[in-house]
Amino acid sequence: MNDLVSLVEVSDDDLTTYISKALDLIDFKINQKVQSIFIKVNLCYYWNSLTGYTTDPRLVSSVIDVLREKYGLNNVDIKIAEADATAMRTSHAFKMLNYTKLAKEKQVELFNLSKDKKVPRKVRVNGKEILFEIPKSLLNTDLFINLPKMKIMSATVITCALKNIFGCIASPKKIVYHPTLNEAIVGINKLLKPHLTIVDGIVALSRYPVKMNLIIAGKNPFSVDCIVSKIMGYNLFQIPHLKIASKEGFGTPDKIKVVGDDLTKFKKIFPHVNVLRLKLESKVQLRLLKLYSRITNDTLPPILET
Amino acid sequence: MHNVGIIGLGQMGRLHLYNCFHIDDVKVIAVADASKKSLNKAKLLGVRNLYSDYHDMLDNSDNLDAVIISLPNFLHLEAVKLALESGVDVFVEKPLARTVEECREIVNSVKKSGRKLMVGHCMRFLDAIEKMKDIIHKGRIGSLEVITAEEILNGPFSHAAVPTPVPEWWFDPEKTGGGVLLDLGYHMIDLFRFFAGEANVVFSCLDYKMNLPMEDGALVVLRCKDSDVKGIINVGWYQKSIFPNFNFRFIVHGNAGFTSTDHFIPKNLYFHAIKEGTKNLLRKIAGRKIKPLSYTYYYEQYFKELKLFFDCLKKDLEPPVTVIDGLKTVEIIHKAYQLADRTVKKGE
Repeated sequence: MNDLVSLVEVSDDDLTTYISKALDLIDFKINQKVQSIFIKVNLCYYWNSLTGYTTDPRLVSSVIDVLREKYGLNNVDIKIAEADATAMRTSHAFKMLNYTKLAKEKQVELFNLSKDKKVPRKVRVNGKEILFEIPKSLLNTDLFINLPKMKIMSATVITCALKNIFGCIASPKKIVYHPTLNEAIVGINKLLKPHLTIVDGIVALSRYPVKMNLIIAGKNPFSVDCIVSKIMGYNLFQIPHLKIASKEGFGTPDKIKVVGDDLTKFKKIFPHVNVLRLKLESKVQLRLLKLYSRITNDTLPPILET
Repeated sequence: MHNVGIIGLGQMGRLHLYNCFHIDDVKVIAVADASKKSLNKAKLLGVRNLYSDYHDMLDNSDNLDAVIISLPNFLHLEAVKLALESGVDVFVEKPLARTVEECREIVNSVKKSGRKLMVGHCMRFLDAIEKMKDIIHKGRIGSLEVITAEEILNGPFSHAAVPTPVPEWWFDPEKTGGGVLLDLGYHMIDLFRFFAGEANVVFSCLDYKMNLPMEDGALVVLRCKDSDVKGIINVGWYQKSIFPNFNFRFIVHGNAGFTSTDHFIPKNLYFHAIKEGTKNLLRKIAGRKIKPLSYTYYYEQYFKELKLFFDCLKKDLEPPVTVIDGLKTVEIIHKAYQLADRTVKKGE
């Protein structure tokens, strides 16, 4: 059976209609009894959604409305979750990015995954064994919704559905996973499987923010990422973590069916960045500077220290 | 030889430490910081005396001639006073202190101690600013009329090459003493004073776009006390900025023309880095001294200000930026805070 991924163009007015349409297109239904919902947003830093870095709180707010109005989940415990990152503290991000206000308005809880009880879990990916500390609450939730942002990133080329789950790791020092980042992304996704992914592509991030006015929904985050990478102009084999995920049985790229709006329309809007250029810009510059500093003994500004 | 101690090894402290190695007759003999990691970095660079508490450094200050203080704003007053009482000259990062009262205490301490103190008003030493000052001095733009100064970037929320958390004190207005006006606005107001003289605040408006407990945007209009020169100061922390880009411009309008930092700041900072870096490589090969940090354009000012400080100590001259400059700048900022129409706060 084909994996459905829906693309829906949105406008600035109420997002609930578009979210509802996107969920109908993928035939999303809630069959079991739901008592707790976790919504994992992407708040990687203190830059708001219009910079292309973080999930738009308007999208989160509308998702909550859809859950309550369309699926009747009115008296359910809803938590908006994020974990501290190497440079970002969730407590500040919630305030600075308008999530505190949203939580008050919608009567939902803001949840710092880094403060949750941690459960150690080991997984094997690509022949490597990786140890994670998983926030216990995520293992016990009835409905786990992933709301990533659509972005490019030098280390992983694209960062979207699967990478946002990597952000659930309890420890703030996620940088320790960076030597085997692609395996770690796949590994954590073996342990935490969202029931639904809705991508915030309202403003996406290429080399600069791009107004895409798009939401993408799917039940399988791997399939969602495959479509996101197509829109961004990459094929599966240019994205190492998707290549590994494919080998690990996360899905079959040939069996993904796009429903809703036409993919090519969004592909034209997104400014493609060459993978080589992406890598060169981030790593080569710094290496050259370090080499120069070593030869001349010139000062390297501490902001560039590694 | 000047024996120097550095108090605080955050980003600015480390930058000063590295710059000291390029200044003749200056030797960093001691550093103080609460972080063991920072102390170890200094140790690897050959600094012998490492202190986890700067009070211990000042208690053993017999061999020290000067200290560089790069601590969070709320610690400036105590550290500067104790350093001066220890009988050493002081270079302190901006702002001089959080409030006018704290600044006045420091002014009194400087007078009482007879030591020299320079405040890190680094932007006066930016190459473009020095060139603009020269153009105005030669009369090329006629009489000064209006100055516009703007600096909008990420301030303390800038992203380093290796992600590090923003220090918690930046989120506490008690500890910072203010927001972007005391951070970036401090530089812009000092530049206005540097070009036009002392000023009154005519209008002030603060903004809170990032939901921080202090302002992250400020628009201030100044008017010179003894001339008709006006200034528009526009500063913000709310804009994502990534090294080496730096959203800063300073324009001086006269009745015969104008001059702007845009005329002098390299259009392509990457090309500038290659050009200046190559020059330094050639200097190194020829056995000459390099021009530290010239390849970064914006960071060279930090080397220049520190070199000037030590030049003044050697020649027994008054530093180019005095404690009074620090006090006057903080006075203007606090007048702007008093005048600010806080009812424009977003969402209220």
